[in-house]
Amino acid sequence: MTAAPSIKSQPVYHAIDWDQTGVEHLLFIAADDPATLDRLLANRPPGGLTLVVAAAEAAERLGVAGVTARMVIEQNATSALHALESLLQQATMGLRLYLVGPEDAIWQAAAVATRYGMSSAEIRLYQTGTKARPVFCVHCRAMTRGVRTNLADCSGCGRTLFVRDHFSRRLGAYMGFQIDAEIPGEKPPVETVYP
Amino acid sequence: MQLDMRLSRIIELAPGIREFWLCREDGGELPTYSGGSHVVLSLPLPGGIQRNPYSLLGDPADCNKWRIAVRRQEQSRGGSVWLHDSAQEGQALKVSMPANLFPMARLGRHHVLIAGGIGVTPMLSHARELARLGESFEVHYAHRAPEFGVLADELRTLAGPDLHCYVESRGETIDFSKLLARRPLGTHAYLCGPQGMVEAYHRIASEMGWPDTHVHSERFLAPPPGAPFTVRLAKTGKAIEVRREQSMLEAIESSGVQPPFLCRGGACGQCEMEVLDCDSSLLHNDLFLSQADRDSGRKIMPCVSRVTGGCITVNL
Repeated sequence: MTAAPSIKSQPVYHAIDWDQTGVEHLLFIAADDPATLDRLLANRPPGGLTLVVAAAEAAERLGVAGVTARMVIEQNATSALHALESLLQQATMGLRLYLVGPEDAIWQAAAVATRYGMSSAEIRLYQTGTKARPVFCVHCRAMTRGVRTNLADCSGCGRTLFVRDHFSRRLGAYMGFQIDAEIPGEKPPVETVYP
Repeated sequence: MQLDMRLSRIIELAPGIREFWLCREDGGELPTYSGGSHVVLSLPLPGGIQRNPYSLLGDPADCNKWRIAVRRQEQSRGGSVWLHDSAQEGQALKVSMPANLFPMARLGRHHVLIAGGIGVTPMLSHARELARLGESFEVHYAHRAPEFGVLADELRTLAGPDLHCYVESRGETIDFSKLLARRPLGTHAYLCGPQGMVEAYHRIASEMGWPDTHVHSERFLAPPPGAPFTVRLAKTGKAIEVRREQSMLEAIESSGVQPPFLCRGGACGQCEMEVLDCDSSLLHNDLFLSQADRDSGRKIMPCVSRVTGGCITVNL
């Protein structure tokens, strides 16, 4: 168990399990995490199960395992999000959504679900895979994805951003602000902190 | 805060159901409110002031009058009977500001409004607001007999073909397992009606996998009468008699103490009091306290709950 974050907005993820109050279940997997997947599939909930797989490695494993569920396999997160959206368009009340993967992917998926009127009571999130952060620039509002370092160049305005722990659930991103705004050029060393 | 108002109009809607219009005594403008809001009327009954909550059913944007509808409840403490038998147009009344314990879910993609009997009142303000916002909604209205379908015409102007009426005397009832089936994600349901209907609705919605966040209901409880008892306020040592038909909260108010309140129906938790001592048993009638709170014997909601007799001491 990791220590509670110093900033309240930073999400804390608990071990994921099925929500037995649901009558339909949709599992969106965007990382290769065999242990989590095996554990979940070993104990399937009653009701229909659909898998949306956004990681090729995970898809391969699933193919071998011969899981009996409605299966949608996509090669990347973007196409998987589209697949998720078209499933939610058809879905009815009683569905529970499980989002497993890196924060960038699962919070983008959560934003799609929110657009379809799902509440946090219907969605469970679990971070696994890379810890790389999506970073929202507070200066130009551009998103820079896959940030593994404490400092990163903004994809929009090019400023060197310091990546904070402050997280926006709506944007699905961490806040980034210019590190050398007060003394131009004065920057701490770049370190990889989000492997 | 209480407004000085008067009953500007009384309309007989059906046998035992009256509509009242409330205007400000000074003719001034009223604040707007959100769909699902209620106000608390202070009714000057012969035995003392009785405060009852009523849902506002008019147009939330109407600044000239508030509208409520009241069903005559014979087996009750006399507030509704007074409104039916004694209240006249022109009667002055103190009325609270609107409060909303039954708000619309703004992020909903479709709204299913369900009314049982006089529970139609909050659905009218919801329907008006949804219609104005251009939201997708439908209304299901169950009532005893054709003549009790009060305000159905007004609902029809708002919901058009999406108003569905169920007349009990014709054997028509709402089947929740059909009504709630195959609803698109993001549907919210709202119900105001009698206890049995509310319970069936919640049970069936839950069996069908609806999360509590999407299943809304409102039920105003009237404080049931009971044996008289004494309430002692620990901080002042004041001892107050609670009469048979009076609520504990009303008795405390009549002694000049003004504890906070919002719903007066056991739902909101505002008037919760700490019990320091009680030489009889607590009779919990609220919808607010958890089982653990009830078991502790340390909390009571004085708007609807009382004790079996003797004396209760509260930390007030």
